[in-house]
Amino acid sequence: MAVIKVSNLKKVFSSKRKSAGLQGSLRSLIRPEYQLVDAVNDISFEMESGELLGFIGPNGAGKSTTIKILTGILFPSSGDAEVLGYVPWKQRQKLAFHIGTVFGQRPQLWYHLPAIDTFYLFGKIYELEDREVRKRIGFLAEAFEIQEFLETPVRKLSLGQRMRCEVAASFLHSPKLLLLDEPSIGLDVVAKQRIRDTVRQMNELEGVGVLLTSHDAGDIEALCSNVIIINHGKIAYRDKVSNLKRHYLTSKLVEVRYAEQVPAGFHIAGTDTLKVGHYGVKLKFDTLQTPVESVIAELAKSGSLVDVTISDPSLEEVIRVIYGEAAA
Amino acid sequence: MKKYWAIFKIQLLNRMAYAGDLIIQSLTIILFMWIFMQLWKTTYHSTSQDTLNGLTLHDTMWYLMMAETIMLSKPRLSRTIAATVKDGSIAYLLNKPYHFILYQLSIGVGDLAARTLFNLLSGSIIVWILVGPPPDPRGWPLVIVAFMLGWLIDFCLNTLIGLAAFASEEIAAFEWIYSKFLLLLGGVLIPLDFLPPFLRSVSMALPFAYTVYGPARLFVDPTLERFAGLVSMQLIWLLTLGLFTLFVFNKASSRLAINGG
Repeated sequence: MAVIKVSNLKKVFSSKRKSAGLQGSLRSLIRPEYQLVDAVNDISFEMESGELLGFIGPNGAGKSTTIKILTGILFPSSGDAEVLGYVPWKQRQKLAFHIGTVFGQRPQLWYHLPAIDTFYLFGKIYELEDREVRKRIGFLAEAFEIQEFLETPVRKLSLGQRMRCEVAASFLHSPKLLLLDEPSIGLDVVAKQRIRDTVRQMNELEGVGVLLTSHDAGDIEALCSNVIIINHGKIAYRDKVSNLKRHYLTSKLVEVRYAEQVPAGFHIAGTDTLKVGHYGVKLKFDTLQTPVESVIAELAKSGSLVDVTISDPSLEEVIRVIYGEAAA
Repeated sequence: MKKYWAIFKIQLLNRMAYAGDLIIQSLTIILFMWIFMQLWKTTYHSTSQDTLNGLTLHDTMWYLMMAETIMLSKPRLSRTIAATVKDGSIAYLLNKPYHFILYQLSIGVGDLAARTLFNLLSGSIIVWILVGPPPDPRGWPLVIVAFMLGWLIDFCLNTLIGLAAFASEEIAAFEWIYSKFLLLLGGVLIPLDFLPPFLRSVSMALPFAYTVYGPARLFVDPTLERFAGLVSMQLIWLLTLGLFTLFVFNKASSRLAINGG
């Protein structure tokens, strides 16, 4: 059963334009000029119950705008959408009882109070029984491993701890659908992984559907089964994550720093050397042809390693490749 | 209603997390009352009369204490609402199952309760020392009702100013004009009894007098007759402004454009 149905959704924003300087300001005062921006441009998709759907794209692609339309905060310019059988912008408050939201850049926990106070407040806001709330907090505290700092004022928590509390809070009312907007922004690798693991665990335990937006391809790779790539307000790609990985996330970028100078004529078979410095090298390779372990082993043989960073191709790069294929 | 009560309580807790800050803020009223005392003592002395326009120095000082408490305890809701519109965070307040206006109201009452408590305490202590005990305590329950109704009128006006950010982005000018109206026509600076008759009738025809002057004047003259007259005018203004605020909010939220994506 589809929990989200979107067809031909459009959102056009009108934003004021002003040329530089005092003259520009005066001109815009007398004759304001507006520019129309297609934030979401005729997109259609469906999401099934219990699905883990990744919604990715670069900054300004229209991801957040789509999520805001789906939560009922924004009215679309045209098109239809249904979330759990509700038309979001017409039945926003009814829908709010059944969905959970986390916006990585906008905390929902009360900053000066311990997270547990916000949990109890949410219990009241979602009209839950006190007994039920206590039980649920106990369960979530364990699942998200937040017992230790549940009673510490939020302002004193690390970003990773705070985000775990944020995501746990959004599960308090047992939503059927969770909308996560950039939940891992600014987090370190370990904190990111913890959030991903718990979200996946909650999906398996409670069957909650997850729509995740991110500009980090790693989030989608680790968490989602299906993916939509959105760019300039349009859907550029819709497929299984496994296919995306097979086709586009096959290359890795490695940056290495050595304790001694890099040997002359440095090269590792099966990789492209992008840059060689005095103490560091940067190379790229295809994981389908050259396994990660062998590259690392070869790198270690070339000298005493001080630092190694392995990263995925940027989403922009993936999108460039997808568009390149479409154009070809 | 339980959820709004819970929101009120959490905001009160949130404010109380910095009780020291509230106490220091409330010291402002002590300075104000001392300055007012010097001014009004001289005024009464120069006229050689005990009563001016029906108010003794004792009445005037307790009136001003109440008026200043109302003014200084008001949370800056218009600024808060406008900030949520400007930085786009309004979106994150709208995705929970409550009414945005009632949510802001609960937050506002939470703020108001914390500030009023400290301002009232500091203000009362200094004025008691300066002019003697406060007016008849039997009138205080009436004053609490009028105080709350007055605050609700102020809440509507503040919300309207805050929502103006949807159209104009910047609301500092509206805020400035409103605060000056309150100072002069609302009775914050001077009891309206001292204004010329024409200006006084203009003031009484506007809502500002019912947020500050009405409750403060009732505090020093707590008669049932004054209470009935005041509360009926407050209810008329509250109904008018309340409905208008809801209308504006519904219009504004349907054309909401979130800043910051």
